Amino acid sequence: MNRLLEAPIKIGAVKGVAAKLLALVFLLAAGQTARAEEKLTIAAAADLQFALEEIIVSFRHIDPAARIETIYGSSGKFSTQIRQGAPYDLYFSADIAYPRELESEGYAASKAQPYAVGRIVLWSQSRDARAMTLADLADPAIHKIAIANPRHAPYGKRAEEALRSAGVWEKVEPKLVYGEDIAQTAQYVQSGNAQVGILALSLARSPQLAKQGSYVLISDRLHQPLLQGYIITRRAADNPLAQAFSRFMSGKEARTIMARYGFALPGEVE
Amino acid sequence: MDFSFSAAGLSAADISAIWLTVKLATLATFILLLVGVPVAWWLARTRSRWKGPVGAVVALPIVLPPTVIGFYLLVAMGPDGPLGRITQSLGLGLLSFTFAGLVIASVFYSLPFVVQPLQNAFENVPERALETAATLRASALDRFFSVVLPLSKPGLITASVLGFAHTVGEFGVVLMIGGNIPGQTRVASVQIYDHVEAMEYVQAHWLSGAMLLFAFAVLVVLYTFNPNGKR
Amino acid sequence: MTTVHARFNLDYPNFALDVDLDLPGRGITALFGPSGSGKTTLLRCIAGLERVAGGLLRVHGEVWQDGTMFRPVHSRRLGYVFQEASLFPYLSVRRNLEYGLRRVPRAERKVQLEQVVEWLGLNKLMDRDDPSGLSGGERQRVAIGRALLTSPSLLLMDEPLSALDLASKQEIFPFLERLHDELDFPVFYVSHMLDEVTRLADHLVLLEQGRVIASGALGETLSRLDLPTARQDDAGVVIEARVAEHDETYQLSRLDFPGGSLWVGKVPRGTGALVRARVLARDVSIAIVPPQGTSISNILSARIAEIRYEGRDRASLRLAVGDRQMLMSRITRRSCDLLGLANDMQVFAQVKSVALIA
Repeated sequence: MNRLLEAPIKIGAVKGVAAKLLALVFLLAAGQTARAEEKLTIAAAADLQFALEEIIVSFRHIDPAARIETIYGSSGKFSTQIRQGAPYDLYFSADIAYPRELESEGYAASKAQPYAVGRIVLWSQSRDARAMTLADLADPAIHKIAIANPRHAPYGKRAEEALRSAGVWEKVEPKLVYGEDIAQTAQYVQSGNAQVGILALSLARSPQLAKQGSYVLISDRLHQPLLQGYIITRRAADNPLAQAFSRFMSGKEARTIMARYGFALPGEVE
Repeated sequence: MDFSFSAAGLSAADISAIWLTVKLATLATFILLLVGVPVAWWLARTRSRWKGPVGAVVALPIVLPPTVIGFYLLVAMGPDGPLGRITQSLGLGLLSFTFAGLVIASVFYSLPFVVQPLQNAFENVPERALETAATLRASALDRFFSVVLPLSKPGLITASVLGFAHTVGEFGVVLMIGGNIPGQTRVASVQIYDHVEAMEYVQAHWLSGAMLLFAFAVLVVLYTFNPNGKR
Repeated sequence: MTTVHARFNLDYPNFALDVDLDLPGRGITALFGPSGSGKTTLLRCIAGLERVAGGLLRVHGEVWQDGTMFRPVHSRRLGYVFQEASLFPYLSVRRNLEYGLRRVPRAERKVQLEQVVEWLGLNKLMDRDDPSGLSGGERQRVAIGRALLTSPSLLLMDEPLSALDLASKQEIFPFLERLHDELDFPVFYVSHMLDEVTRLADHLVLLEQGRVIASGALGETLSRLDLPTARQDDAGVVIEARVAEHDETYQLSRLDFPGGSLWVGKVPRGTGALVRARVLARDVSIAIVPPQGTSISNILSARIAEIRYEGRDRASLRLAVGDRQMLMSRITRRSCDLLGLANDMQVFAQVKSVALIA
């Protein structure tokens, strides 16, 4: 360990090692792509992590052989990555604007399909959130409030809009901490580092968070509607598994699961 | 969603992020030297059986992913964690999402990059020089300042520059415990990340370019004053 | 007047030191012995650089260490000169010299910078910023000066000349001999070279395998037949004498000492000057009747104090010249027997060669 920081590494040695590493990476990548047809890679917004996993379990009852991999993260990031050729077959975004963009630019093999209207909630582990309103956030006893980064996270944008509409933005802004995506935002509040957070309804309804805290819905009149949608990417245009899963998503079983997590489409009963 | 073609150049927010980064790195480096010098000296000179374990703990941040460090710090700084409990009982609230919290995190994260060059330099101080100084009436502390430090100058420079540069580049840890608060924890690395996330690529290029120039300048300093890495 | 008392007992797997010594408080005491005999270790113990449990060290009445306390090196008023000069490479010559001086309270400074510069001929070096450009001899002189400037009550020198080439050694000797005269505190000088010892020492301590096998005045100890020094090829005595007269015609000088005189090649010193001369045992032959018609001019009347046989071919004799001066002679056993030499016999010592050493 002590010798790690000695004189700069010799260039020749680096080239040799780099060449070997590159070869290894190519081999691994080749191994992956060879089986593209029988596999599905889904990139989904962080708030879908619980609902989507249940849906996939359900899907496997019909197609036990299906190999499905899911990656959860920030919608914006996935959209950028897909443009750069990331190997995702399905893309679920917390804001349908992203998939619509990709569609208009030719990166999609399907039309952007809505799957829910996103709702935001106040969630807290240490306080009873059910009785809270946005105005309560101005209370000096609350030191830190977590929201997702409004610059690029859909839930964060809606949170900011709601706070502004409720007229508490000035008082609350100095106390805000920003999570890179809605999952990290939840983590901030779960760990107690922030006393309250504005989270996605779907996360608040998940088994983990439901056990640990309480939530209250924030009126959807306080913010722009958050229509959430997905596409099949251009890359998966000929992937039968992608088509099958897409059809399953609109089916009754999937919709029931989604509803349980608060993912309702306009017109559905919540 | 809107495509905002941001103006070229560094915005006020970017400059604030750079300034915050410089403040963080300077303060962290200063503390790192204060903490690192005694630790490195002990590691260089001790024959105790604790040398191995302590050395390994110091070196941990080299191998641990920054997100792991950040995650554990987040938990530790939280209301139920050991650090959080201490700060709360002292009436200081929580360290997460604060500049002070970042400073402490940076000290952990960059510790081996400061301790190891220092330890190397100290190990290379010839015993004879210290014995000579002792026969010339220099007490232990005196010997440290009048013999060890001058003979370790290259190591001190390397340690300071590495500690500084490493803190400037810190991202994973900041991401976990920073909370991205402008003027407090929104450092340059996070600001660049946000530009990319928000697809403000022009801004991202400008800020990244500025950081690249800065890093280059730092390395030029290091290699001009210390071409062999150690003397 | 013994003012340094040292007792050390070290037992390492590869090495042991067991000494109990009283050393004089003035003059140069040489710690002499072969490599590995413990001389450097003893010196380091006296300095406190080796920390020995239960050692005892008393200097001028002050206890520097005993079973209950240990005065750290930097608190001991001593100067130490190492084999390699160990000048601080980042300090100029002047700053090196001043290093110890600055750490001695003004009131306790008995040695001044100008004095030391003069004693050791450092004038030309004082404006050097980088000690690495100095020659070995120059570096050692600076190191000696640096040690002296701490106004020590004891100066320890650990083979200060061994790392130097012959030319540098010759260059430094005069300075060391001057120190002999100038210093009013004792010097302990470690060496394995007999020529250094004979030139400089007043008192000789012989070490062998970590033990002291002899400790006494130089002249007396060198003339002892029972010590390893007597068995060396260049065994012999040291004579302290005064220059009595010069013979310009024959370019000779006469040296007087209690017990006799010796003629040597012209000495570049004035009359009355104190010098040291060496007379080797192999250069001293014995006659039982006053020698006649011989080319050897130095003939001294002496009494046989001791005879020691070495094997069947050699005999060493210790002779007393006058009351105090001893001579050593090495002859064949055959001659010894043929002449019927015995203790207390009055004989004539023929000194074939005298070397002036200081």
